[in-house]
Amino acid sequence: MEKLLDQDTFRKALEDAIKGKSANQAPFSKAWATGKLQKKHFARWAENHYHYVGPFADYLGYVYSNMPEQFTDAKDFLLQNMYEEEIGGDRHTDLLIRFAEACGTTRERIKNPDNMSPTTRGLQAWCYNIAMRENPIVAVAGLVVGLESQVPSIYRKQTPVLREKYGFSEEEVEFFDLHIVSDEIHGERGFQIVLEHANTLELQSKCLKICEIGAEMRLLYTTALFNDYVKNDLSLEELETAA
Amino acid sequence: MPIVKIISENKIIEENVAENTNLVVQAGIKKFPYPYLKYKCGMGTCGTCSSLIINSQKHLPDPTWKEVKVLKEKIQLGYRLLCQFRISHDIEIKQD
Repeated sequence: MEKLLDQDTFRKALEDAIKGKSANQAPFSKAWATGKLQKKHFARWAENHYHYVGPFADYLGYVYSNMPEQFTDAKDFLLQNMYEEEIGGDRHTDLLIRFAEACGTTRERIKNPDNMSPTTRGLQAWCYNIAMRENPIVAVAGLVVGLESQVPSIYRKQTPVLREKYGFSEEEVEFFDLHIVSDEIHGERGFQIVLEHANTLELQSKCLKICEIGAEMRLLYTTALFNDYVKNDLSLEELETAA
Repeated sequence: MPIVKIISENKIIEENVAENTNLVVQAGIKKFPYPYLKYKCGMGTCGTCSSLIINSQKHLPDPTWKEVKVLKEKIQLGYRLLCQFRISHDIEIKQD
């Protein structure tokens, strides 16, 4: 990148950086969307996902503390995002646990960090790392634009099959429904903040790179879920035939 | 593009929105009906976005289980939770 991009071009570049590595391409996502997973696989997913999304407000808390005082809008967004994750309505992780329990696992197993895979531990560590150490606008680009903004498109594909094929109740899949709305807000607000405040060539370049890395991290995490928990029950060849 | 008319605290505000729009998402990203629309949790729990639908009920999907749980008998009076559906037709709403 040689010159500062205007906001429309920068937004398109951010979207493209994510699109190339979307977690929708991972075999675990494909198996989920085509109804090829078993409930035990969802249970293992939830035991991992808890440790990635559970500390989301913690990640954002670090970004909040690093955000310059005069960026009031960005600080308010982070605070609101934290509030909605934890106390705006039901705590989001409680809804994840509700789904997981319907898949046959327990609150204790989900909360136990020994039950996450090394790759999930890596994703969680990466989130803490950029939240604590990166420029806060770059951290918003990584955590909110790169990761959180992908969620509505992922869950739009994954939620109908949970009701239709597996017969989960509306209450049991509430975790997915609420994220289609709330992450649509958070993702778009994240874009607005990054577009406004990444106003140097260096910041724009860093935001683009971190979005790409964030999307790669989520793709890596989702790919590992297939390798760690599914591949003995469903081969990639079977999955390709079904897709 | 659907026209949204909001009656809130004796003000009437009207503007177009894109088709298939969720009004709480719109307000959340600071676009019309922001700052006129009251909402909080965005997940059908708190009831803050509860609104009387003055017209256009027939174009809306059936109330979700969350609306049934939160609004109870107010559904029969024409109230809905705006966070729970997207709109594709003109709509007029009133917030208490």
